[in-house]
Amino acid sequence: MSTLQIKKLYTLSSENRKFCFTLPLRNKIRIGKRDYVVSLKSDEKYGTYILWKNRKYPVEIIRSRQNSYEILFNDISYTFTVETPFSMKRMKVLNATKKKVEQESVKAPMPGKLIDVCVREGAVVQRGEPVVILEAMKMQNEIQSPVSGTVTRILVKPNANVMKDDLLVEIKVD
Amino acid sequence: MDISGKSYKAFLKRQEALKKQYSEKQAEKQHSKGKLTAQERINLLFDPGTFEEIDTFVTPADQPVEFGKVERTYGDGVIVGYGKVNGRLIFAYAQDFTIMGGSLGAVHSQKIAKIQEMALKMGSPIIGMMDSGGARIQEGVASLSGYASIFQNIIHSSGIIPQISVIMGPAAGGAVYSPALTDFVFMVNHTSYMFVTGPNVVREVLNEEVTFDELGGAKVHACKSGVAHMIYDDEENTIMALKKFLTYLPSNNVENPPFVPEDNSTPDINDKLRDIVPDDPNKPYDVKDVINLIVDRNSFFETAELYAPNIVTGLARIKGKTIGIVANQPKVLAGVLDIDSSTKGARFIRFCDAFNIPIITLEDVPGFLPGVDQEHAGIIRNGAKLLFAYSEATVPRITVILRKAYGGAFIVMNCKKLGGDFSFAWPTAEIAVMGPDGAVAILYRKELAESSNPAELKKELVKKYRDKIANPFIADESGYIDEVIDPAVTRKKIISALQALSNKWVKVPSRKHGNMPL
Repeated sequence: MSTLQIKKLYTLSSENRKFCFTLPLRNKIRIGKRDYVVSLKSDEKYGTYILWKNRKYPVEIIRSRQNSYEILFNDISYTFTVETPFSMKRMKVLNATKKKVEQESVKAPMPGKLIDVCVREGAVVQRGEPVVILEAMKMQNEIQSPVSGTVTRILVKPNANVMKDDLLVEIKVD
Repeated sequence: MDISGKSYKAFLKRQEALKKQYSEKQAEKQHSKGKLTAQERINLLFDPGTFEEIDTFVTPADQPVEFGKVERTYGDGVIVGYGKVNGRLIFAYAQDFTIMGGSLGAVHSQKIAKIQEMALKMGSPIIGMMDSGGARIQEGVASLSGYASIFQNIIHSSGIIPQISVIMGPAAGGAVYSPALTDFVFMVNHTSYMFVTGPNVVREVLNEEVTFDELGGAKVHACKSGVAHMIYDDEENTIMALKKFLTYLPSNNVENPPFVPEDNSTPDINDKLRDIVPDDPNKPYDVKDVINLIVDRNSFFETAELYAPNIVTGLARIKGKTIGIVANQPKVLAGVLDIDSSTKGARFIRFCDAFNIPIITLEDVPGFLPGVDQEHAGIIRNGAKLLFAYSEATVPRITVILRKAYGGAFIVMNCKKLGGDFSFAWPTAEIAVMGPDGAVAILYRKELAESSNPAELKKELVKKYRDKIANPFIADESGYIDEVIDPAVTRKKIISALQALSNKWVKVPSRKHGNMPL
């Protein structure tokens, strides 16, 4: 099983930045080509925090799902995944064969009435950003963008009634 | 014994031959596809050095007719055995794709059946790791009959020991029914597939062009068909998640789930719970925020996350004891009950009931989803499954009504007269036959039609309805719920209720089985 002995782990942030750290956890973290000395501590008074250059930065795990995490650090939330060398390799193999999606369309998940369109044509949206507000079953649902990209076409107007699977917005993937 | 004697030498020779069987080249081939070998998977799952393999040296059955070639290998393409996972006894089998494509022959199936019978006898969970091309064509009916015996064993053990399938490669044809029968199915994104008929047959018969991933990939089964419950991006994380999942489950149906001491870092009274549900009943919120504040910190393990996300199901712990959560999700489709969410909820409840896991229901449901689509597809029949599952469950059942509890959906979501043990409501709760707008339109149709200012009158009546009827106090004062509680004390109330229910015992009338509307 020597091939699976994990000594090194990688972290991939949502912006695809790569960080590397060794196991068991030492205080050195490699970002790009430089090593930085940081340490993770927790106590009663401050909760959990990262100590870097003698300053404390509070961290909180908001959500975790197996190897993907959302953390709150200095009041900014970050999402990232933790990868092993094998899973990094696997990702490379799969990315080479994967076709890139260029156009993504946002469809109505259920019949309802459009309350608001939150974006304009040509606007740049991030993944998870609300695109339209759809009222259905007396509830105002945010319909979020499934990808990060540029809005190319808006096919609906506020106050319009839409059916399930009606095309609402088209987004060109970055 | 003389270690240079004949019999010992024969023993060593066999060991040597077994080692040769697994070459680096084959492992490399699996790795290049982004997959691990069967041995590597077994080693990842079990605590180091605890796995004991059985039937290592069996060889394939003799072919009845000479057609095609069967490789005379040891083990016949499957590893079976038992060991410890987090210190607890677990049985497992892992199909080996490097040997004849992991195809299932007579001996292969006998090995699996043997370990299944052992798991049932010892009352321990069984894990099946599938990576197989399907039935072995060369062996004909013997391999088909092998599948049947595996299915029979799964059904026989169902509800007695937890059975979990992990799909790590192809599973096609009859092979798909073995995971479908088990309690939970894990799949690996991009490298595992399940379908009854593959893309080639689809192309021949229907002239439809479809890729493996589009037809039966992990994403499809997790989002659309609901066959797969948990999917992950690689095998290591899949197995790690499986190991975590096992910590919630008892070994069998007469045992209680394992107790995992809590670090007391979750406050029993939490003011944050008051801020989650918005004042405007038309505004959504994420029910998972409520769940995470009620259960032990970081203990919530969501099942079937991507399928019918308008109902949230999952296992968690409260004061170290496993509970099952069923919650309407106002953030998705307003949290309505539709066909998919009803079946998802029903199956989860039945699992919890079989394995002594108390069920906590968090209710915020505007009703069943109306529409031709749903009615024609059988929302009546499918909604009845959820009703049946709740009503039948004899484990402790606690409901907290967070906001909406309207109509049939109120009844279905574990109301007291359906056998719910405790029913709490937050002050924001709205319990009524239907929502204010609908009720006013029916009760004051004439007045509204005759009014000079119908919009104003309607607004007034809606407000009156909200104040008089759609609130939790009527239900509280007439005993249909137990208590209206401050959201902040929800966890505390649930802890007390669970303690009170720890010896709950219900006498079930003797019968062969109920007739659930399947």
